[in-house]
Amino acid sequence: MSLIPFRTKRSSGMESGSLTTLADFRNEMNRLFEGFFSRTSPASPWFETVETGQWLPAIDMSESEKQIHVRAELPGIDPKDVDVSVSEDRLVISGEKKSEKEATGEGWSHRESHYGGFSRAIPLPESVDPANVTARYDKGVLMVELTKSPTSASRKVPVLTAK
Amino acid sequence: MVTQTHTTIPAIEPQAEPNLTYQPNVDICDLGAEVLLVADIPGARASGIDVTFEDGVLAVRAAVPPRELPGRTVRQEYGIGNYRRSFRLGDGFDASQISADYKKGVLTIHVPRLAAVRPRKVEVKTA
Repeated sequence: MSLIPFRTKRSSGMESGSLTTLADFRNEMNRLFEGFFSRTSPASPWFETVETGQWLPAIDMSESEKQIHVRAELPGIDPKDVDVSVSEDRLVISGEKKSEKEATGEGWSHRESHYGGFSRAIPLPESVDPANVTARYDKGVLMVELTKSPTSASRKVPVLTAK
Repeated sequence: MVTQTHTTIPAIEPQAEPNLTYQPNVDICDLGAEVLLVADIPGARASGIDVTFEDGVLAVRAAVPPRELPGRTVRQEYGIGNYRRSFRLGDGFDASQISADYKKGVLTIHVPRLAAVRPRKVEVKTA
């Protein structure tokens, strides 16, 4: 038996219309870019440092007036195995993804998912209150909400003149 | 958007592909009696996942609701869109017994082989 994922119209003959090919091409490009940026980020100077671990979860981050919201894709991870720690200007998400079928041992013919430990340190755009953080895991997505530290609000600085 | 200027150039129909679709990462394990597919589809709802098996092709489609974060986006590393992927498994599978479950953003599909084609261990007798 052979397990061949079909990706192009030509190889499958299953789909019709040129959009399938375009969509597949776009998917491939997305995967290439995602792979490049998420897995080789230690080489990217504008990305945060990687502490330990073999893979990095992808994140989204947004900022509202009083909060910073971070969302990380962590499919297949027991929430008990996720550790979220916060310092004033940094959020660290670490943990381990265990392979459920590792116990059965043999038979894997194809693997694409990441397993093992991961740790990602994310610099925050503003200082936050480490005591005021919530983290929630749902359907493979970790959502962290951080409250900005009141002292981080912008202040008007008076400009003095020399006498 | 492509504008149709000549009759020979077909216009792209935007409604055919309204959103970006992504291929999920999939692990495949051949256990003999069945083939196991494990797909990472974080953020999907179980009710929005569609698994079909037709002519030896197993197709997975999953609808993912928009993942909108409040406020101004600072960083966006993963795409927002539906998942879609297909695998040609071939014949010899019992389509009526295919089962799938979705937990913690991971879809696990069990595709059992027909009893007639399952590998069997043959006992060797001694005289």
